[in-house]
Amino acid sequence: MLFSLHFVSILFSIAVFAGFFGALLGVGGGIFIVPALVLVFHLPVKLAVAASLVSVIATSNAGGSSYVEQHITNLRLGMFLEVFTTIGALSGSVLALYLNEWLMLALFAGLLFYMSISAYVSRHHDDRQIAAGAYANASPDAWSRRLSLSGGYHDHALDRQVDYVVRGTGIGAFVSYLAGMASGLLGVGGGVLKVSAMNRSMNVPMKAAVGTSKMMIGVTAAVGSILFYLAGLIHFYVVAPVALGTTAGAELGTLVMNRLRSAVLKRIFAVLMLYLAYGMLVKALALRFHIILPSLGS
Amino acid sequence: MAQQLQPTAANVYSIVFRVLFWGMVVSTSLFALGVFRALQHPVAIPLAPIPLLSFHATLHGLARLDPASLMLTATLLLILTPVVRVVLACIAFAVDRDPKFVAVTGIVLAVIVLTVVLGRLGLR
Repeated sequence: MLFSLHFVSILFSIAVFAGFFGALLGVGGGIFIVPALVLVFHLPVKLAVAASLVSVIATSNAGGSSYVEQHITNLRLGMFLEVFTTIGALSGSVLALYLNEWLMLALFAGLLFYMSISAYVSRHHDDRQIAAGAYANASPDAWSRRLSLSGGYHDHALDRQVDYVVRGTGIGAFVSYLAGMASGLLGVGGGVLKVSAMNRSMNVPMKAAVGTSKMMIGVTAAVGSILFYLAGLIHFYVVAPVALGTTAGAELGTLVMNRLRSAVLKRIFAVLMLYLAYGMLVKALALRFHIILPSLGS
Repeated sequence: MAQQLQPTAANVYSIVFRVLFWGMVVSTSLFALGVFRALQHPVAIPLAPIPLLSFHATLHGLARLDPASLMLTATLLLILTPVVRVVLACIAFAVDRDPKFVAVTGIVLAVIVLTVVLGRLGLR
């Protein structure tokens, strides 16, 4: 594969798309980047995972800085959960160095299926909770009280201050560990798992969860990237166009995120994830069991 | 939230924002320059693990705008940005006399150090 203008243009365009959607949904964009590198460019999955991890940091810096500036990010909550995501990322990336290619593809397909279903099921959750005032009228658990994890932000789409009380820190910590593991193992930010846990189990509104997750995925992906870099798996010629594209996409996505309602986004996201999950599963089955399924154009 | 912040808490927000923003600006510029230079002399992308460039070789490469050195530096800066963010937040919490969050950020830094040690030991 030659580092030509054609190669750079296609990779950059895919990365802009991934960064844009990633910023809107609080994910790193790796869930688009890894399938694109594997299915479109036919790269080995470990190289794709390594390149994707670096691009996840890029989207975190770009999108994360903007959410921090707008005070949508809950810094204390994010830094607390980072303890668990980084430990997860270390265990996941160590595992990735030893796992078979087909198994990584199958696990990735499983993650995409989960994300698709989770996004569709939770599409109206946020609007209902804010309208009912449920985010502000909850009791914090012991850890949330001890570490002052609760917060608030101004929602531009609703034109109101949304305060919330954080609870469920135990389940949040556990899911953060799993999200970190998914990050190190599969080259994603793990944002969907964290956003969904913060939103549904920790009583954090969707946008605050997205902003907080966006900051957390940077240091989480940094842990995996360090290990992949030292193993010689980070190829700069792949990383560079991807990082540039995801940064540009994340900047664009962050500009419009606080002005959009999440239900429409989640529906589009669910369909897209299902499509990519199928593509990765087809590749895994072909690789391990020589079962050839129709590829649906991927 | 912004109106309710203590001055020191607002400082942490400001520090985190600046680190993330400038990390992004510098690494993006180096990546862009690296891609531009690489497109002038297209090479085949290797599909196997690549040997690490030494610090010395990277510095020499940067001096003559070698694309691999530019992109390597951009990648390392990108990886370091969130790490620096945690270090500075840890210091800000220490200045703020918030020992619980000094411990929280300290654990994250310990995991990062452990990762570097494991990587240097040659996990493959």
